[in-house]
Amino acid sequence: MGTFIQLVVDGLSTGSVYAALALAIVLVNQATGLVNFAQGGMAVLSAYIALELVQLHVPLAIAIIVSMAASFLLGAIIERYLMRRFERGDPDTAVVVTIGLLTLVTGVCAWIWSYNNQQFPSLFPSSTVSILGAVVSVSSLGTILVIVVIMVLLQALFLGTKLGLALRAVAINPQSAAFSGMPVGRLLMVGWGLAAALGAVAGALVAPQLSLTPNMMDSPLVYALAAVILGGMTSPLGVVVAAWLIGVLENLAAVYLPFIGYDLKVAVPFILIFVVLLVRPQGLFGRKAVVRV
Amino acid sequence: MSTAPARLFERPWMRWTIAVVIVALAVVLPLVFPAFTNQTLARIGVFAVAVLGLNVVMGYAGQVSLGQIFFVGLGAYVTAYGVTQNWNIALVFVLSVLIPGVVGLVVALAAARLGGLAIAMVTIALPIVGVPLAKRLSEFTGGSQGLSAIFAKAPTWSGLYDDQWQLYLVLLIGGITFLLTRNLVHGKYGRAFAIVKGNQAVAGSMGVSPYRFKVLAFTVASLIGGVSGFLYMVVVQYTSPETMSFGSSITLLASMVIGGAASILGSVLGGAYYVLVPQLTNAINPNLTAVLQGVILLAVLFILPGGLVSLPRTIRRLWTRTRRGGNPSPPTQAASRQADLAEGSPTERQGQA
Repeated sequence: MGTFIQLVVDGLSTGSVYAALALAIVLVNQATGLVNFAQGGMAVLSAYIALELVQLHVPLAIAIIVSMAASFLLGAIIERYLMRRFERGDPDTAVVVTIGLLTLVTGVCAWIWSYNNQQFPSLFPSSTVSILGAVVSVSSLGTILVIVVIMVLLQALFLGTKLGLALRAVAINPQSAAFSGMPVGRLLMVGWGLAAALGAVAGALVAPQLSLTPNMMDSPLVYALAAVILGGMTSPLGVVVAAWLIGVLENLAAVYLPFIGYDLKVAVPFILIFVVLLVRPQGLFGRKAVVRV
Repeated sequence: MSTAPARLFERPWMRWTIAVVIVALAVVLPLVFPAFTNQTLARIGVFAVAVLGLNVVMGYAGQVSLGQIFFVGLGAYVTAYGVTQNWNIALVFVLSVLIPGVVGLVVALAAARLGGLAIAMVTIALPIVGVPLAKRLSEFTGGSQGLSAIFAKAPTWSGLYDDQWQLYLVLLIGGITFLLTRNLVHGKYGRAFAIVKGNQAVAGSMGVSPYRFKVLAFTVASLIGGVSGFLYMVVVQYTSPETMSFGSSITLLASMVIGGAASILGSVLGGAYYVLVPQLTNAINPNLTAVLQGVILLAVLFILPGGLVSLPRTIRRLWTRTRRGGNPSPPTQAASRQADLAEGSPTERQGQA
């Protein structure tokens, strides 16, 4: 029983990292209709920025906040000067642009900081607490808590503020939003910036566990994409729940199903996707997209 | 004036002449090129076929697939396994095409239920799961060390060197694949793919089932991927789980867009990009390979969103614009602008409302 609880809590913790990245992907997708494959790469860059600051003896929490701000700016700049050109065109081309961006950002990280692993300090102490006889690490609990707080803040932003209302309006119909006098371009920049800042959080949470390399986010990105499909593109809450589900199930499968083991646990979310999509093509919590011809 | 050469190329006798010249060059040139050139050309041929498969599902039918490299790897593994078991080479070829095709069909039956980018995110699973799976099934795949199989040695009666013989095999099998695919996408299936890509609701109302044609496109792409995998073994003679890594998969996708989506010639250019650009960037500075590849990819997309294959069209447009410089003719410009608007039709986005 102790192992089981431990596995579930650890799964929720890794699931939380996937959730942060998945929320960033949903944010960009809602605003611009794109899937940003560079989201993970940008998160790695943010983590390197935070690490540089820490090495200059800036306290870790402040370093992460500064890197979030820098990522926000970077995301906005990328939207304005790179993605803007491709948003109205062929969506396939736009996807490939984000893939080019991923290659470029990873290459820049590798060029500046090399492919060697770097130790990234953890936000949380490495102590453990005992819950119902299970030994659970504080950092797992802290990671889960951070994601819950972020989700509440995002919901408050989108449902409770004027900026959130404007962002939703632009996501639903950019033309009508523009006719109502909203600065659509600037709002898209804000959307990309918010997504990049969220990615920075994901990077800072995952870097202490995986140790920082330019390719660190490749596999979390795949899990995040799986969570996005499973939860449904249109539902932030659904995406977080799906990410947790994936984190927990893959942990349990790795231990309790001998055929899966640690090397094949990456298959778990995709088996799950196949089963779910055969029953509900719009995802667990998504709405069906209605297309007007 | 500027349309005269274009019209010349549409004459039937001109087309036949070009075809004959190309075939003659394909027969003669491998005999005179040095071995390294022949090997590079053969590798370009292998990946041109892989890009062609991706073009069928993505360029023509409009379904983003990040899994094409998995079918190439599967075809290569089937070939390597068959050769090590001493099966008849014709049987090996048929299996190396059919097995990826069947797997592609099964995946497509589930994946084609999704719309748009969700297919991209499901097909990403193929290389991601494929690599650890190949390591796990070491009985068939040789685990992380991979399999090597040398079966395409030049027979003694031909008097050819190995590299020449391999290039001829690639040219023959690849050429037939290109011809068959060209006929497929220029016929009624190509029109069905185009309408599925353009608007699924319209396709359905015209009696073209989007689901069925998505599955068909995906299956054809995996068959072609299998052909490419067989050719890969002919040329490279070795395969490992790294053959189908996620990195190769996205490079393949980038190659297709850079060559030119929905274009037969673009597939060849894409194959050339896949093989030559890493060699080029490595030669410039090995530390900057990834940066340079990213920059090249983004630069091509910025300048030529239609890929390299649209280069002549872009040049021709610039040419006519500069010649018209002093005396612009407003009606044609307005018309072309209208065409541009129609292409990036804003109504598609209203679906999210």
